[in-house]
Amino acid sequence: MLIRPLRRLLTRSTAVSHFHTFPPCLSSRRILQNFKLADIGEGITECEVIKWNVKELDIIQSFDPLCEVQSDKASVEITSPFDGVVKEILVKEGEVAKVGQGLCVIEVDEELLDSGSAEQTEPASSAVPAPSPIISNSKFVEDDASRTEQIREEPFAPRRLHPMDPNYLSPSTPNVNPENVLAKPSVRHYARQSKVDLALLLSGSGRDGRIERKDIDAFLSHQASSVLLDSGSAAQRAQAEQDVIVELGRTRYGMWKAMTQSLEIPHFGYSTSLDLTSLHSLLPTLNSHIPEHFNPSKSSSLPINPSALHPAPSPPPVPESAQFTRLTYLPILLKTLAKAMMAWPVLRSSITPGSANGGSKPTLTIRPHADIAIALSTTTGLYTPVIPHADTHSIYSLSSQLKHLSFLGRQVPCALTTNEMPKRGATVTVSNVGAIGDGEYAHPVLVPGGGVAIVAIGRARWVWDVSKSDRGERRLKIGVSWSADHRVLEGAELAAFVESWRAYVEAPERLIGEGI
Amino acid sequence: MLSARRLYTTASSASSVITPTHSIYLSTSTNPYFNLSFEDWLFRHAPQKEPLLLLYRDAPCVVIGRNQNPWKEVNFRAARAQSIPWVRRRSGGGTVYHDLGNTNFSIHVPRTTFDRGATAQVVLRAVRALGIDADVNERNDICVGGEKASGSAYKIASGRAYHHGTMLITTRLETLGDLLRVGKDTMITKGVASVRSPVCNLAQFSERVSHDTFVNAVVDSFKAEYGVYDEPCIVNDTDDLARIGYIQRGMAELPSWDWAFGQTPEFEYTIKKSFVWGDVTAHIHARHGVILSCTLQGLDSELGKALEGKRYGFVEDEELGVDMSGREEVVWAWLKEEMSSYD
Repeated sequence: MLIRPLRRLLTRSTAVSHFHTFPPCLSSRRILQNFKLADIGEGITECEVIKWNVKELDIIQSFDPLCEVQSDKASVEITSPFDGVVKEILVKEGEVAKVGQGLCVIEVDEELLDSGSAEQTEPASSAVPAPSPIISNSKFVEDDASRTEQIREEPFAPRRLHPMDPNYLSPSTPNVNPENVLAKPSVRHYARQSKVDLALLLSGSGRDGRIERKDIDAFLSHQASSVLLDSGSAAQRAQAEQDVIVELGRTRYGMWKAMTQSLEIPHFGYSTSLDLTSLHSLLPTLNSHIPEHFNPSKSSSLPINPSALHPAPSPPPVPESAQFTRLTYLPILLKTLAKAMMAWPVLRSSITPGSANGGSKPTLTIRPHADIAIALSTTTGLYTPVIPHADTHSIYSLSSQLKHLSFLGRQVPCALTTNEMPKRGATVTVSNVGAIGDGEYAHPVLVPGGGVAIVAIGRARWVWDVSKSDRGERRLKIGVSWSADHRVLEGAELAAFVESWRAYVEAPERLIGEGI
Repeated sequence: MLSARRLYTTASSASSVITPTHSIYLSTSTNPYFNLSFEDWLFRHAPQKEPLLLLYRDAPCVVIGRNQNPWKEVNFRAARAQSIPWVRRRSGGGTVYHDLGNTNFSIHVPRTTFDRGATAQVVLRAVRALGIDADVNERNDICVGGEKASGSAYKIASGRAYHHGTMLITTRLETLGDLLRVGKDTMITKGVASVRSPVCNLAQFSERVSHDTFVNAVVDSFKAEYGVYDEPCIVNDTDDLARIGYIQRGMAELPSWDWAFGQTPEFEYTIKKSFVWGDVTAHIHARHGVILSCTLQGLDSELGKALEGKRYGFVEDEELGVDMSGREEVVWAWLKEEMSSYD
């Protein structure tokens, strides 16, 4: 089966490329954009224009129907790549246009072109160029671990890049294109003034990775300080060459002690990968229905007010640190894990403190609910706050708690208290290492009080799966690595438990039947 | 035996637009206006990333391509005589004849992964699975032994593309020949002309093949190709679904003059006839179904001028407002007959 080449980059007329060198005045200038017939693939070199949906001097918006062309057996609808005014129609109905030939001239606002392309482009932080902005190549199980300043992600519902857009890229062209960097025109202007190449910043602290003025300032001061280091005194350089002794901070020393004690726990490991494809197709729906108290920015636009007669029951308001706009896989994995834990009492058990002392037979205490701890890596250290009774929470509620916990963890000094980290801890710990690195296997470590098992969740990635059909199919898989306390759990028990978990993850519709 | 469910659609949260949720649809309606409008609704509203298959049959009708000239493609007299309607579809390509012995398939995919060869292969594999030694020609039509059993056309819009086509199973080929034979060689059109080829029915090559076995084979082939496990959803024009505004509007648009005739590209038609007093040559220039000019040689008359701006093939005698004397009357009768749409 031949894979047809994808559309080539639409070339921009030279009139537009000059905007980089315009004098720094921000008054909007109008530019005439020559809209050319793009390569529509299939080896077609020319098309007949059948119909124009606009006429000269019409105002059009991006994605408005522009014209219809015909090539042998195919009828193609072309939509406008810009907002603007149709200045001139170059190829009339009934005439033939060659690929690359101008179809019409559209007058565009220069600033609109800039911000328009900023909004229509993929954030440059996605390292893999997407053939279509809708198809994602990798998704991340997101944990708001503060270690990562810039969370690598694709915007959940990306504004689609118009295939005719000059910034639309096919995989054959390299992704590093300074025009792909998101920044408002005023920020670009500031960058030009400061002689900073935006391509070097790649992404910034603004929404969706937009570069803000402060990112440019930070970049400049970073450059300045690295320059300073280079020109440091000989003494400083000499000092940098010697061994340095560093004391362990409180949290790191706490980790040291806990890990030393963990040596008394016999660990065994078990790894597998879960198929997230069903969850992947659920995620858009779940995201578009995040309850208002978790996501107040998304206001419902119902013309009829459900509370007109009587106030609809509204849940208690939620602090801003617990609000979220985007659901990821982690809360869903936690929910399904909690469900499996309810079916497996041994995963809700912990060694009764003090019961193993003095040679007496140890006992296990089984909790009625699933307490799950989350490994949180912050600038101040590694913590494991607990989500108590995870089975009683909805997926949205779990997402909210995760957000809140990571907010607290990110504070300096750490705002996590015994409220979030009770002495009795949890019975299962979850470590979302996939947010940090694209590892394939992990061997997490259990600490005393950390429960009977710990699971490290990797990074979701699309793979070609030939296990279910001869032809194979594309599935989204995520690796999970378990370590468990062999004093409490048998290998077969853990394996069977993980299969219970998988049965929820890979068939999430079961949650509907069980009333979640 | 195909198992199927009643139609199930969802209303998306953003608006109250109903969207299709299945991957495979079978229409039991034989109304070409419904089938084409339903196909268009699926095209515009189905999830962009998901492949979709639609299969349907039409009661006898002639279907011309988006940018074709019906006067050139359809034998109106023969169609009128057999009460067979003709329809202009939304995809490009040439003219085909549909009847219940012909099954239509329509495969919708995201625009960026659209590959005519691949979609043609899906159908080819289905035909082969029925035990017929078929092939695909260079125009992506499925043929058996050098004769076409299927014709294809495509439509591409932002985000989505479809490949649809016919499959002759037990079609009345002689009717097909009659209706598509026009012979107006002196009509020069700017649009797409049909590429004529000898045709054959699949039933000539296998006893197993029928609408149902073909449909099952295409569904299986589609499922295998795209990894779809849905069961087909059965639809009819009497379902609630048919009341969706978009589909209703489509069904009203297709037979309207503006769409059926008004989308005709520019054409010129030169005809000549010998009358008792001499020869008359008429040169008619029309665009979008409207006469731009009509020059008459061999007759000194205001008739040509009077025809300007009138709808080609729909001019009533009264509209002309020209004093019809002997010769003009005869010439007009001849022109009227030549332009006739028999509608």
